[in-house]
Amino acid sequence: MTEASTVLDIRGISKVYGGRSGHRGVQALESIDLSIREGEFISFVGPSGCGKTTLLKILDGLLPASSGRILFDGRELVGVSREIAYVFQDINLLPWKSVVENVEIGLVGRGQAPVERRRRAMEVLELVGLHGVASHPPYTLSGGMQQRVGVARALAINPRVLLMDEPFGHLDNMTRETLQIEVSKIWHRMRMSVVFVTHDVDEAIFLSDRIAVFDLDPGRIVEVLDVNLPHPRWEIDVPAQPEAIRLRRAIIERLELRKRVLI
Amino acid sequence: MAWQLYAAPMNPILLPTPIAVLADFVALVSDGTLVSALVDSFSELILGFTIAVIVGIGLGVLMGRYHRFEVVFDPYVTFMNATPLVAFIPLLIIWVGIEFPARVIVVFLLSLWPILINTVAGIKNANRGLVEVGTSFGLSEVQLLRWVNLPSAVPYILAGIRNGIAKGIVGMIIGEMDMALAGLGGMVAVFGDSFQTSKLMAVIFCTSIFGVVFVGLLGLIERRWFAWIKETAGSQK
Repeated sequence: MTEASTVLDIRGISKVYGGRSGHRGVQALESIDLSIREGEFISFVGPSGCGKTTLLKILDGLLPASSGRILFDGRELVGVSREIAYVFQDINLLPWKSVVENVEIGLVGRGQAPVERRRRAMEVLELVGLHGVASHPPYTLSGGMQQRVGVARALAINPRVLLMDEPFGHLDNMTRETLQIEVSKIWHRMRMSVVFVTHDVDEAIFLSDRIAVFDLDPGRIVEVLDVNLPHPRWEIDVPAQPEAIRLRRAIIERLELRKRVLI
Repeated sequence: MAWQLYAAPMNPILLPTPIAVLADFVALVSDGTLVSALVDSFSELILGFTIAVIVGIGLGVLMGRYHRFEVVFDPYVTFMNATPLVAFIPLLIIWVGIEFPARVIVVFLLSLWPILINTVAGIKNANRGLVEVGTSFGLSEVQLLRWVNLPSAVPYILAGIRNGIAKGIVGMIIGEMDMALAGLGGMVAVFGDSFQTSKLMAVIFCTSIFGVVFVGLLGLIERRWFAWIKETAGSQK
């Protein structure tokens, strides 16, 4: 990844929760500066409470920033963008809609005709291997399948930026590894920019071109690391690579995880 | 059985035997009086209740979604819900009279509030995660209501409707007893006043069936069209 153009430019974003009349509030994010490049896979890694999800929601327009600006293709981003899609940690599929209808939701927001919507939704469901359960209610699916629907829902709008908020946090290890490979393959095929929030260092190394390391009190980026590992990663034993071992150690030392132990 | 044995030696005005009640029930059905009374009562109930459902859900959605509506209407809703509405009946008689429209209004006034209040609560308590999804994927205000807020309020609304229909049946009987004697309530009043206890009990029995049938119907609707309620109960935040 050399000198790719910037798609999202984060400039001095801060977020204070509950700062009102006398209270100083909680500084969730302090002047974040970061450029997200076209087509790159970047992960936000850090302890819980470091504001990585908050930043992701600000990028999606779900939360207002307290100060700072976000530029999308050089233009200031206001509210929710049609070119940015979000994969939620809690998945949050509508239980009263079928799987395929859930995938259509972003196309409904764009005012697409029902026939067109359905065609596109089936296309992405096929991509994640779920076209067979398109008409099922989502609660009949396993956790891993539900998150595949969550990914399909985001892909349906053909986003230029895909925001993923600890999407595999609730899944068991085996399902998580399968989905990591699937996401990696989808990214290779579609080449949108992906911003991936996780607290799993190995997951970040496996997936990313770059890793932004967050720390807390206040939430901030302390380091941005390049991941110099060849693609496709599912064909190599990533954790065994010297580069992966080096990165892992660097991140853990950077976060001084041992010092956080309270007992 | 116990009722039959206990009631057999007693004065039938105080407590008639179930066999006598059943016999009167059959007699009232076969001479057509009960059937025509049922038709009267049923049409009042359905009309008043349907209007209550439409107004209750419509106004409830507006109040739950838009703060301005809530500020304006909430004091009246609280006031009306706390008032024993039966006390309004004399007023209604003065304003509207004692015939069919007045009785429909009584049904409407009694069944409206639980439906309205539950709809407001349901809309306001929509799952925040689902609302966030709708917002993130660019749904408009109306789309958000149709895809997220309204369906997620359905369990609340159904509970309100179940409560509303019970209140509506009460309103129906009271209206028929206190206004022009008509329908099932009219029969209750007439048989009660003339000490025809076994006929009275046959009619009361009939009104109970009324309620049970409606609630059963609602349960059927819930299972048929809203299966997700049971499947996801307790898992929503």
